Amino acid sequence: MNRIYTSLILVFALIVIWTIYLTNLRQDNSLTVRYYTIEELVSIDSSISTSVKVGGLIKPNSISINNDDQLEVSFYVYQGNDSLRVYYYGIRPDLFKDDAEVVVAGSFNDNLIVATELQTKCASRYEGDLKNIEKI
Amino acid sequence: MISQIGSLALSISGGLILSTFFFLFYYSIKKNKIFLDVSERGLIAVCFCVILATLCLLNELLISNFNLQYVSQYTSYETPLFFKVTALWAGQAGSLLFWTFIMSIYSLIYINVSLRKMHELKFWSYIMLSFIFGFFLLLSNFVANPFEPVSSDIIVQNGNGLNPLLQNVTMAIHPPTLYLGFIGTTILFVMALSALISKSLTFEWIQSIRRWSLIVWTFLSAGIILGGYWAYNELGWGGYWAWDPVENSSLMPWLILTAFIHSSMIQEKRGMLKSWNILLAASTFLLVILGTFITRSGIVSSVHSFTAENLGPLFLGFLTSLILFTVYWFFKRLDLLKSDKKIDSFSSREGGFLYNNLILLLMCFIVLWGTLFPILSEAWNGEKIYVGATYFNQLNVPIGLVLLFLMGIGPLLSWRTTSNSKLLSNFKIPMVVSFVSGVIYSLFFGPFQLYPLVTCMGIAFTGTSISNEFRKSYMKSKSKDKSIASAFTSMMLNNRHKNGGYIVHIGITLLFVGFIGRAFEVEKEFNLSPGEEIYFANYIFKLNSIKSEARDNHYAFISDMDVIDQSNNLLTSLYPEKRIYFYWNPDPEKRQPHSELDIYSTMRKDIYSIFSAYDAEKNQGYFKIMINPLVNWVWIGGIVMVIGSLFAFWPSKRRDYGVI
Repeated sequence: MNRIYTSLILVFALIVIWTIYLTNLRQDNSLTVRYYTIEELVSIDSSISTSVKVGGLIKPNSISINNDDQLEVSFYVYQGNDSLRVYYYGIRPDLFKDDAEVVVAGSFNDNLIVATELQTKCASRYEGDLKNIEKI
Repeated sequence: MISQIGSLALSISGGLILSTFFFLFYYSIKKNKIFLDVSERGLIAVCFCVILATLCLLNELLISNFNLQYVSQYTSYETPLFFKVTALWAGQAGSLLFWTFIMSIYSLIYINVSLRKMHELKFWSYIMLSFIFGFFLLLSNFVANPFEPVSSDIIVQNGNGLNPLLQNVTMAIHPPTLYLGFIGTTILFVMALSALISKSLTFEWIQSIRRWSLIVWTFLSAGIILGGYWAYNELGWGGYWAWDPVENSSLMPWLILTAFIHSSMIQEKRGMLKSWNILLAASTFLLVILGTFITRSGIVSSVHSFTAENLGPLFLGFLTSLILFTVYWFFKRLDLLKSDKKIDSFSSREGGFLYNNLILLLMCFIVLWGTLFPILSEAWNGEKIYVGATYFNQLNVPIGLVLLFLMGIGPLLSWRTTSNSKLLSNFKIPMVVSFVSGVIYSLFFGPFQLYPLVTCMGIAFTGTSISNEFRKSYMKSKSKDKSIASAFTSMMLNNRHKNGGYIVHIGITLLFVGFIGRAFEVEKEFNLSPGEEIYFANYIFKLNSIKSEARDNHYAFISDMDVIDQSNNLLTSLYPEKRIYFYWNPDPEKRQPHSELDIYSTMRKDIYSIFSAYDAEKNQGYFKIMINPLVNWVWIGGIVMVIGSLFAFWPSKRRDYGVI
């Protein structure tokens, strides 16, 4: 093996190790966020604030938008029988409505998710049931 | 009727693949060339059947045959003709058929042009092509058949129509362009492995695979940039890249393909790095399939969800078999790939290409690690953990900056070795220019943000270095030619490979100009009633009115907002809209709101406006304004990149035409 290859492989290995080190699984790692199911989140101790990412559906009729400031919203996300309240301030995606599939990220404290990110699954998926049909 | 023909063509192509396999097997025993020819024709027939099936599906989309599930899900009578065509790749079943369609066209070119000159690759190429075709035809015939009829107890009066977000010209060009890139890697894979297995890594082969890789690279680059352009102009979050798994899946093969294009040059010039090149060429396709697995299996949460649960395991099985196949043959042929020459000098052109490979591979690893992290962490301790944009930026930005400088360093190095005195004289000017730009930048913007400052210096360094290369070859050409124009033309045309490469590098340097802007983005969300105004980022935003209007396929609230600059001049008026598609539908759940952006775009900055909500009671609009500096340079850089690679691809002499 000659010098140049050895040094390149060494640099590669060092940066790979650095990358792996940065994404360590410690709770307080600011680069990572754990994804929870709603079921898991309901059962954990929420007296201390944890940063979370969670996916679910928007509970029908749970969206409440502040009349004085329409950017402020709270709603419930649900999955099966479990649901959790989410607070969000900011522009909502166009597909934000009852039963839309959402992913929220933010901090979870006292059974409330204060979301800093709110995404609906969209664009490419537009399947769903056929709308204009007649049964025979 | 037509749909039956399509469905039949699809089944026949499946049968043909099986018989092709049979003939290939027979050939491997009997070694009678006739069986190889028969299997070649079999493959060609498969390609034509797939093309026929695709045309049939297109026909059904155009005539709105709502008896087909696929047609009724993605089009309606109201869908404009142009978007009925694009519905061909809007959904799962259609896009898989479309994939096989593009693969058919590439395979026809590969079989009829490339393989004509490389007979020794035929057998293994056909085996691999049949296997890959077999997989996709299996999906189209049994898992996601686009010719599936709607259930027999209903009549569809009108289809669902195409998502308004996809009814956009960019979105019509972006997927096919990206597909042309993705699927082109199939040929690279087949070509690399068939040469490896049949032990014929000829000079002709390396030239041919390099040309293929340029085609694929051009489409892949254009596809990625178009995707960013669409996201920026349609989605309304003001950015063009979010490190989403789907985006990462297209970036990884691009990075490895770029590495291949560089390191294969060492093989072309000096006959080295054969094994490495084979591995890179094969990996591009493996990464494409990995990406397809990630995006279509729903294993990683992504905003682009093409989720269809039934495809994940199939793609995983396909990927695993491809990886095992590659690894097996790679180790079996390792002795063939050894080179007796060595790269001895750190400061040589070869060294430069190796550094390039190191950087691109590292970036690919970082992206791959981040994308797969949720899966890996879940396998490790049962917790699904995501890494965000911060991770990708924190690691990739500094490495990307090294790449930026490297693009300027490369041309300054000679093949084999560069003497110290030559190094010094070559580096002098770019270093000085880079340093001076750094000082000027700091005087204007302050040296407080490290990355923009270093990027600016890198752009100056690489820009100077490449321009100097052009100047040198111009002087050489000028010494022979008299007129400026003819000297310039012959300089450009003489070495298209090299010049094309430099043009691509200029394009990438321009991309970096756009990336600097990201450090200076600002945004604000606010609400205004007509007549009110707000001050933000040295501009006054004054809302004149909000009008409403019923249009052909939607209802629109149109705002009219003036942007007034510091010296009290009207800079522009913005008209972002809030639209409601399907507004006539009595069920509010079926209506779909859509924010149509308005962007005031200049070379220095974009003023990006979103009309996010309308409060009818108070007659109040909710807006988001973003000031995004230098975004246009990203698109310009992208265009320059594509022009450069087309330039490099264009054959320079007549005899080159045959070599694809």
